[in-house]
Amino acid sequence: MAEMTLTVNGATRTVDVAPDTPLVYVLRNQFMLGGVRLGCGMSQCGACAVLVDGREVRSCVTLASRVAGSKIHTIEGLPALWAEAREGTAAGGLHPVQQAWIDEQVPQCGYCQSGMMIAAVDLLARVPSPSVAQIREAFTDAPPSPHLCRCGTYPAIIDAVQRAARAMAL
Amino acid sequence: MISTPTLTRRQFVKAGGALVVSASLPSLSSRGSVEAAGSTLDATKLASWIEIHDDGRLLVRTGKIETGTGMSAFYAQVVAEELRVRPEVISLVLGHTDETPDGGFSAGFLTGANNLRKVAAYTYQALLDLAAGALNAPKDALAVTDGVVSGGGRRISYAGLVRGQRLELTIPIGGSLPALDPGQPTGLSGLTGLQVSGTPPTREIPQYSVIGESFPVPTVAERVRGDTEWVGDVRLPGMLHARMVRPSAVGATLVRAGSVDRARFPNAEVVTKGNLVAVVSPDEWEAVAAARAVAASTTWSDWSGLPGHDEVTATLRAQPWGAPSHERGDAAKVSAALSAAAKTVEASYEQPFTRHAPMGAYVAVADVRRDGSATVHTASAQSQGLRVQIAHALGVDVEKVVVRWHQGPAQYGRTTWGGDGAEGDAAILSQLVGSPVRVQWTIQEDLAWSTVSPAWVADVKGALDTEGRLSAVHSDWYAPHENDARLLGALLAGAPSVTPLATNRVSTVWAYEKIPVLERAFAMPSLGADATSAGLRGNIMRTPWQRQQNFATEALINEAAAAAGADPIQYRIDHTTNPRLIELLRATAKEAGWDPRPSPRPGARRTGGGLLAGRGVAVMIRSDAPWVAIAEVTVAPDTGEVRVTRFTVGLDCGKVMNPRQLRLTVQGGIVQGLGEALTEEVTFDRQKVTSTDWTRYRIPTMGSTPDIRMVITSYDDRGINSAGEAPNALPPPAVAAAIFDATGVPPRRIPLTAAYVKKLLSA
Repeated sequence: MAEMTLTVNGATRTVDVAPDTPLVYVLRNQFMLGGVRLGCGMSQCGACAVLVDGREVRSCVTLASRVAGSKIHTIEGLPALWAEAREGTAAGGLHPVQQAWIDEQVPQCGYCQSGMMIAAVDLLARVPSPSVAQIREAFTDAPPSPHLCRCGTYPAIIDAVQRAARAMAL
Repeated sequence: MISTPTLTRRQFVKAGGALVVSASLPSLSSRGSVEAAGSTLDATKLASWIEIHDDGRLLVRTGKIETGTGMSAFYAQVVAEELRVRPEVISLVLGHTDETPDGGFSAGFLTGANNLRKVAAYTYQALLDLAAGALNAPKDALAVTDGVVSGGGRRISYAGLVRGQRLELTIPIGGSLPALDPGQPTGLSGLTGLQVSGTPPTREIPQYSVIGESFPVPTVAERVRGDTEWVGDVRLPGMLHARMVRPSAVGATLVRAGSVDRARFPNAEVVTKGNLVAVVSPDEWEAVAAARAVAASTTWSDWSGLPGHDEVTATLRAQPWGAPSHERGDAAKVSAALSAAAKTVEASYEQPFTRHAPMGAYVAVADVRRDGSATVHTASAQSQGLRVQIAHALGVDVEKVVVRWHQGPAQYGRTTWGGDGAEGDAAILSQLVGSPVRVQWTIQEDLAWSTVSPAWVADVKGALDTEGRLSAVHSDWYAPHENDARLLGALLAGAPSVTPLATNRVSTVWAYEKIPVLERAFAMPSLGADATSAGLRGNIMRTPWQRQQNFATEALINEAAAAAGADPIQYRIDHTTNPRLIELLRATAKEAGWDPRPSPRPGARRTGGGLLAGRGVAVMIRSDAPWVAIAEVTVAPDTGEVRVTRFTVGLDCGKVMNPRQLRLTVQGGIVQGLGEALTEEVTFDRQKVTSTDWTRYRIPTMGSTPDIRMVITSYDDRGINSAGEAPNALPPPAVAAAIFDATGVPPRRIPLTAAYVKKLLSA
């Protein structure tokens, strides 16, 4: 076992886990964050995506020990992340990406959608007003794999990303 | 028999048999463990279905679940409509066998909605009776708005009417809950659950106000916030995590289970029963890592009883099929027309094995206690059927088993028959170790060991008269059956399981009244059925039977239209009298900018460089609703690569329950169906399934998703209809027709992978 100190959604905690434990298990079982979803475990689907220092990372193939010292965010931490970015002005509300996901009613079964929202936050931080082609590229061709949705919500995701982009530009 | 509603002093009843309970409502899924086994609520008691709370909120209970297509919104809308309340005041308890009255599968929302509509209608009448007394006004002079009854110049809320009392009302119920039944295809009867009968007055479509609005799906916001308790999030005190060590081949038996290296995995244990092998640990990652190590040192017998995926069609062709298990149509008329035909068109069509393939693998938690009682946490769409299968496997009375439903990855039909999944593993392991056990399958395991949608072949023949019109169609469809939703854990452990029957159904709804038709469905056991795991267990998948059979008959219609030199849309119009279908064909053609002409297109070719464009059409009637699909594609003849550039779908499903959700569901179904059209195939060698990750079982991506357009025709002269099924069945025949249009070669097999299309064009 190994002690490691992680900063997740703004809170810093030390956990004692096997040194080779992937981040997804630590977030789910030590931090009790159910918004992090175990998908394929092979970085092929994107369901487990979280933000590490603002960039999307697949938590199923990332050792928890490798991200000690980084800022980790799951969907549970997106509202605070947004409030911080806007210096507290939006405190209490959802992240615009989450609000757009609700407004567009994106999830069907919803299993993959945590990772989809994380990918959207990552994209919008780099490309504030993405075109449909840029959204398709980000969700399909960006390494390590496409973000997969079996319910076929891709058109709704495109609408939601563009809605979030508009909200974030205000 | 419906009793007269009476009010009595409120007493505490576990069954919630009260129109009044408390101001706090449980959420859609209630957290924590269940103390003891409990029976299903008494469906004849109105209060088992609906509770009116003294804060004006309503609690509605049904054994149906939210599959992801918005049922939780639709159920609230239906109840709200009949009770004249806002749907926001309604909370739902779904799927728990001990907290709901009716059971039944959640395939489409209509079965659930029909029960809840009547329950709400009975409740409404009872409340009006009570209000008439309380307001001293005649019942027919009362009006209700947002749960407040007014009449005789006075007003009283539902909550005010029933406060501190309970409503005694008995309603008529038909049907039965699931039970073992060897005579049924699935080995279980009662899978449709209980139905509320009688004909209480219900609202008419023109009066609808809540039905028809895009009410948000209650589960969406909690999922987006991360508040959903998914089945994989259930944690019980003392719970162990398990990972399964599966056989090396579909029919391999255990020779020797590997052992745990204590130095590396101090808290892990190997648990076996028959061919069921697992590693359990209090720590999930230890279970994962130890199971990998144990798998490497576990030995299995040799087994190679599958034909290999390249031999599937030959295997089906070599099968002695015997008599059809189901047929429909007019054999004599079709036979006569075929003999008298000026010309016939004949073709054989086929599809390999496909599967449901949700993004999350099966997971379940079971707590089997010393007294034999058991609680199973599941995402199954058939809690009551699962309950029977679990009780049977554990050898306990069904009354000792409680099944608790939680959100899970979508199931697309695979749990509709009350099985498949990790629940058998979890229950058997929990019984063995004496602790609650959580079993999480891996995606590789799910893509190898869950049930499949069987491969099929079909022989279709059409008789053309001298004008080129179809005077008869004969379709024979051959496939392993789709009835096996047994629990893998029970099969591998050698525990009792139900016995499915090798039967198939004709599920198409013939769209062409002017063409006499004979459709026959033949069935065989699953491939590898004699194996310990029962082989590639065939199960239903979204739009079952009809999806596959409709591909074959629509492909034949397109080939017949080409033989007749007719535009494929006009050809369909010429063979039907259904005004709704004709109108929808025209409207969809208009939306797609369809240029009437025969297929293949002028200049169609099968060789050379560049991209060829093509367009194709297919139709389907499902649940009395016509659907029309037009696919537009490009084909690169030198590589065989197909790209769907635009997809237009038309549907006429009657009164639309929830317009936004209808669009989202249809859109998603189309995307799913494009995977079946273009890429999806379960591959296997003689030992086991080999398409066990997302690079080998290829589903659609955002990048491969075309622009999807919709034409929705809604009339208020028909009831509400279901639309979650059908859309996924449309892309395969429409895309195949578009490739035919572009190249002049009719594809007779899906998926239309680049490799297959290239081979087809160079043949």
